[in-house]
Amino acid sequence: MSKKNLSSIRLFLKFISAMMIAGMILLPVDGYATQLHASSEGIITHQVGHLFFLFSMVVLIFTVTGKGLDQQKGWRLIQYSAFFFILWNLDAITAHFFDNQILAVKIENISLTKMKIVTSNNSPLLAWFYYVLKLDHLLCVPAMLFLYKGLSNLVEEQKALTAKKGTQ
Amino acid sequence: MTTSFIPILAVDVLGSVAMVVIALLSLYKAKILRILDPDNAVFLYLLWISTGFTVFAVSRAFGHILKQFLVLSANIETWHAISSYSGSINTVSFMLVGLITIFFNQIWNINVKILSGREKLENTHIELMDLNQTLEQKVIERTERLTSSEHKCRRIFEQSLDTIIVTDSDFKIMEINLAGITLTGYTRDEMIMKKMTAGSFFADPAEWDRIRHKIGSEEYILNEEAEFLRPDNEALLVLITGGIDYGAFGCAKSFHFIIKNVNEKRQMERQIAQADKLAALGELSAGVAHEINNPLGIILGYSQLLLKQAPEHQDDLKIIEKHVQNCKTVVSDLLSFSRKGSPEMSIVDINKVVDGVVKFLSNHSDFRNIEMSLNPYTGDRLNILGNEQELAQVMLNLVINACHAVDGKGKIDITTEKAKDEKILIIVKDNGKGIDKKNLTRIFDPFFTTKPVGQGTGLGLSVGYGIIKRHNGDIRVTSSKENGTVFTISLPADRTAT
Repeated sequence: MSKKNLSSIRLFLKFISAMMIAGMILLPVDGYATQLHASSEGIITHQVGHLFFLFSMVVLIFTVTGKGLDQQKGWRLIQYSAFFFILWNLDAITAHFFDNQILAVKIENISLTKMKIVTSNNSPLLAWFYYVLKLDHLLCVPAMLFLYKGLSNLVEEQKALTAKKGTQ
Repeated sequence: MTTSFIPILAVDVLGSVAMVVIALLSLYKAKILRILDPDNAVFLYLLWISTGFTVFAVSRAFGHILKQFLVLSANIETWHAISSYSGSINTVSFMLVGLITIFFNQIWNINVKILSGREKLENTHIELMDLNQTLEQKVIERTERLTSSEHKCRRIFEQSLDTIIVTDSDFKIMEINLAGITLTGYTRDEMIMKKMTAGSFFADPAEWDRIRHKIGSEEYILNEEAEFLRPDNEALLVLITGGIDYGAFGCAKSFHFIIKNVNEKRQMERQIAQADKLAALGELSAGVAHEINNPLGIILGYSQLLLKQAPEHQDDLKIIEKHVQNCKTVVSDLLSFSRKGSPEMSIVDINKVVDGVVKFLSNHSDFRNIEMSLNPYTGDRLNILGNEQELAQVMLNLVINACHAVDGKGKIDITTEKAKDEKILIIVKDNGKGIDKKNLTRIFDPFFTTKPVGQGTGLGLSVGYGIIKRHNGDIRVTSSKENGTVFTISLPADRTAT
């Protein structure tokens, strides 16, 4: 191909480019740079968070056992804590599934001391099950308590170790 | 379903408060752990977890309590407005806890490496401290050990009864021990100043060349026999063992030799062989002499009888008688050489015997130009148990032989000594032409002589040897062309006489 032909092609491409830039400036249209999010994403994200938290607690239990740390009381108590957090996550996921995801349950406060649990199919069993699920602090408080006790034990062991090193 | 709200409210509010309190207490404990061991990555991890749980507990408690308050105070709309934010914070907080937890395995592995490294570092630090504190002591101990080792090696080198020589790569002597100086006859300075080599001691340079090539090719020599020549021309038989040292710590290549003097041992072996040979010859001579003696007696008797009865053949018969007498003398000498025991033994003063022989011979015409000196032992009397005539005969033979060795003009020294081991020594030394090396082992053989035919029977030294052996003594000879010949007779002293 001759040099003359090449320069002609280059000139044509420059012209096309200039026309496209001019068109974009002079004739603007709607741009969708960010994606819109539906309101259900919030509960899905929250549920995934619970599942991730649950998974991490399972990993913790197996890692502590795998390293042989369960021989120490402190780490054993931390394992118990992880177990209760797993139960709590299951509780929370189930509760959120009923009231936020499928909207099968709804609470209506009647007074300071009374409330009404409205289920979509009027099932008293589901209502009672949901009532129990709402008492989730009975799982997460012991979980935190076991964590505290575990850490306390590790502190005692570390202090004893430090004292032993000091006497050597 | 309508039911009581109190249990849910109570558990929610009290639980939230309890969560916050316990989470804060956990954070406190984790903080203590971190303070107790700031380098422990697992404790740092527990601090992060506790922080995450605290954030989680606080955000959750805040949300729950606020919710209950707003719901009970009929502000449900407000709660709906902020519930999304509260829930989001809550979600983020427990996802954070989960995220931190998921990395526990990695954190643990890092911590194990850190702790292992720290332990090694601490151990190294302790060792370094210990080394630093005891370095001076260790240097002193090592120096003492080195000095002791060097002293031992030096003692072995200096006090070894065998010669030890260290040479450079050109076999020039670098070090030689005291035994080596005694053996070679050179002083240490002389060897080093003259740049003498190990080959300088060899009597035969070809022998040194052979040994040098062997050590060069095989890197060692083992018990190689060689002859050394001392500055006083004394020859010594030695066994040489040696090897190459390629050097360490930058030292140059060198050769090490250990030289053992086996001269006396070899001489002893030769003497034993000589004694065995002479004993065998003695047995043979005794048998021959006995068989010849009787016919000679008969020939002599008949020739003497014929001399009386047939005077016409007198000249012939006298020739027969003379030669028979000569034969009888030879036979008598042979019997003297081989006789087992001496018939007449008495206490004999060696000085007296030697003096008598010297006086007798000094008047002889052959000794006119010979300077004969007698050096008798001046201490106790040198008494032995023996036969005076036989001992005088031995001395006579030795001195006459010495006279022949100096060709009638020279010097003969006769010395008597008392050795430490109750032995009496008679030493006859001349400055004559010496005895050839090849003849030295044969001089005591019967009929061996270097004199012209008719001048000697070759029985003198054999008879002397037989006599001395019968006296439980020993006779030895050393000879060289330059220094002449030395005969040494050793006889056991008579202890009863002293």
